[in-house]
Amino acid sequence: MALDIDRHAHVSSPINRWDARFKLASMGLFIVAIALLKTLPMALLALALAITLLRVSKLPLKFISHGLAFVLVFLLPFFIVMPLSYPGEPAFTVMGLGFAWEGLRLATLIFLKALAIVMVSFAIFGSSRFDVSMLALQHLRCPRVVVQMLLFTYRYTFTFLDEMKRMHTSMLARGFAPRTDLRTLQVFGHFVGTLLVRSFERTERVYKAMLSKGYQGTLHSMVSFASGPADYAKALLAVTLAGALVAGDFSGLFNHAERGWF
Amino acid sequence: MNERIMIDVDNISFTYPDGHAVLKGLSCQIRQGEKVALIGPNGAGKSTFMSHLNGVQLATSGRVVIDGIEVGKTTLREVRRKVGIVFQDPDDQLFCPTVFDDVAFGPLNLGLDKAEIEARVKEALHVVGLEGFEERSSFHLSFGERKRLALATVLSYQPEILVFDEPSTNMDPMNRRKLINWLKQSDKTILLCTHDLDIALEVCDRCMMLTDGRIIADGPSKKILYDRQLLEENKLELPLALMTHELLHGILYTEDMDDEHRQIISKFLHAHRHAHGPDGHEHVHLHVHSHDHSHLHEEVDEEHFHSHPHHQHDHGHSHGHDTLPHTHDGYDHKKEQP
Amino acid sequence: MHISEGILSTPVWVAGYAGAAALAAVTMRNMDMEEIPKISVITAVFFVASLIKVPLGPASIHLILNGLAGIVLGWRAFPAIMLGIILQAIIFGHGGITVIGINSLMLGGGALVAYMVWQLRHRFDIQRRELIFGALAGAVGTISSGIVLALALVTTGEAFNAIAATVLAAHIPIMFIEAVVVGVSAQFLSRVKPEILAGN
Repeated sequence: MALDIDRHAHVSSPINRWDARFKLASMGLFIVAIALLKTLPMALLALALAITLLRVSKLPLKFISHGLAFVLVFLLPFFIVMPLSYPGEPAFTVMGLGFAWEGLRLATLIFLKALAIVMVSFAIFGSSRFDVSMLALQHLRCPRVVVQMLLFTYRYTFTFLDEMKRMHTSMLARGFAPRTDLRTLQVFGHFVGTLLVRSFERTERVYKAMLSKGYQGTLHSMVSFASGPADYAKALLAVTLAGALVAGDFSGLFNHAERGWF
Repeated sequence: MNERIMIDVDNISFTYPDGHAVLKGLSCQIRQGEKVALIGPNGAGKSTFMSHLNGVQLATSGRVVIDGIEVGKTTLREVRRKVGIVFQDPDDQLFCPTVFDDVAFGPLNLGLDKAEIEARVKEALHVVGLEGFEERSSFHLSFGERKRLALATVLSYQPEILVFDEPSTNMDPMNRRKLINWLKQSDKTILLCTHDLDIALEVCDRCMMLTDGRIIADGPSKKILYDRQLLEENKLELPLALMTHELLHGILYTEDMDDEHRQIISKFLHAHRHAHGPDGHEHVHLHVHSHDHSHLHEEVDEEHFHSHPHHQHDHGHSHGHDTLPHTHDGYDHKKEQP
Repeated sequence: MHISEGILSTPVWVAGYAGAAALAAVTMRNMDMEEIPKISVITAVFFVASLIKVPLGPASIHLILNGLAGIVLGWRAFPAIMLGIILQAIIFGHGGITVIGINSLMLGGGALVAYMVWQLRHRFDIQRRELIFGALAGAVGTISSGIVLALALVTTGEAFNAIAATVLAAHIPIMFIEAVVVGVSAQFLSRVKPEILAGN
């Protein structure tokens, strides 16, 4: 599983070239719009738009497959439980449990929305360098401390992932095989403890190194933003589409989910 | 050394999913009891090669057979019982609350009973000179102690084949010497991947050079490690011990000096050559780059190097860095691993 | 267990953001410069540790360890977990963007409760104190998040009641696993580097 979200950030596309501040802000609104949807047809439209966005961003499908798999696996139980437990009159019974179409509809709605949002999210963060995205967040009034910590955490994740892999290799080399038993849990407990101890010692060194290079609590960056008409145009398009989705949803032209959301 | 082939690598290649080829048709065979050095420039694929020996990585083509067992997804446990890898960074191998637990980790995975585990831990700690450290935590040990502990954690597992990844890096000279002594007296099959060509020269009779994903040289250490051209073409250098030899050799024949001094230097070279050089009258080329000394080589050979086997291999004295009397080594030579 | 996108009703996830922001502000008060790299690095460890898969019968689950975060970071566990959740949403698409708030409340809140339970250990002077209270913290951290999650689902609508019950039930085996791992870690840390544990 690759951790570097920005490994395709060099791929040139209209999304990649979009000023990260505009991108994050307008796409953020777009995501909120999707989250507000309660009708199936609008959710389908949202998904279609998300897929289009991904195509335009030229990010490979493999890139997002893991994220989509998560949604699928997480929501699978919903498809089973919701139709069978929906409050009210069931349409028919299956093995003693009432099956309600409304439950299935709700589950499908959730599924479509989740997929759409995840796709948009990958399109946003996969098309800019991580530090650029973070700086954009800062420009959008996200607290500096939070941005700084996000940057550090991201960077150190790779270091620890490496360390973890090597430790894991040496464990495997001495015959360790994880099982459903207490010993496995104990080994993992020690493993995590070890990582923590090493990280603790590392923070002391990191901090000293930073201080000796003049760190005073803020991170400075060489990245600067420069926006042009294209950025405004894209943002306008995004906001308009978002508005259209929400309007279509509220218009009453389609069936709302009932007993699901109020 | 018998004929049982412990490691049989048959034309393996390994390419990452992104197309980057690391191993490109690599073959070699290592027999029981052999001590082989694997040398080569950084990035040549030594680490990748090692990870194929215990199935941590599986070759994209070709096969690896460990003592008759082909390395594959279903044979990992068996293979890992035979091959023990001691990694470069001891911290990658130590993660238990106490030294005892770290060394017991392997035997526990083997499902041994309590008494056997305790016995193995005790033995392994004894071999590396860390008796009495059982209740201490690895996090509070010095680097040298951790390096020895890492070795102990693999020894207790008692594999027949030991693979070392840069065993002497960052080690202080005394611990390095202890390691060398232990390696020399061990009867296991040993593969040393290292940049420390001196340790390779001292411990290993055979040397393989891995460059750009292939083994481009495989022969006696006393041939490969003397081949300056081969070494330098592959971003390596002569072992330090040989550089001294070369230097003195040059001095001996280019400088004006009286006989007494000449004799002292010749004796040094003689003893040095016995420590590292060939037995008998094998010719070894020292590519001395500035002058053509080839004629001198023969002269030297006849006048000064009538080598006779009655000379003991005096490992300690000739290069002067072992200042310890042999009895005080941290490693116990006589105790053998069952 | 994080909740994914699209499930919760708008009032719920918006409230999640509000609550998380408030708690974050409170728990990040008076944070000094040195804590910035410290929290970040430890968050990175937890992030990476959450990739560890523990076999559970035929399947496997990921470690959450919010209880351990509480034990090690004390009140700062909340911002640390929130950071982890933000990164998980961005990098893996786990959880989701709209539910960062509620996921933070859930797991971060659990960490805080775990810390409070952990602090109770001072009243006892017994053998293996760290192991026991670590295990309790681990269990409590897990079950509190489960409860918050179930509440969020139930508030979203009647249709989600059954799912809420399922999710809560699913937390029980997880609770046990977390208890053991966190307990063992706590004991390990108290032995090897006690100063890493919060609230001494």
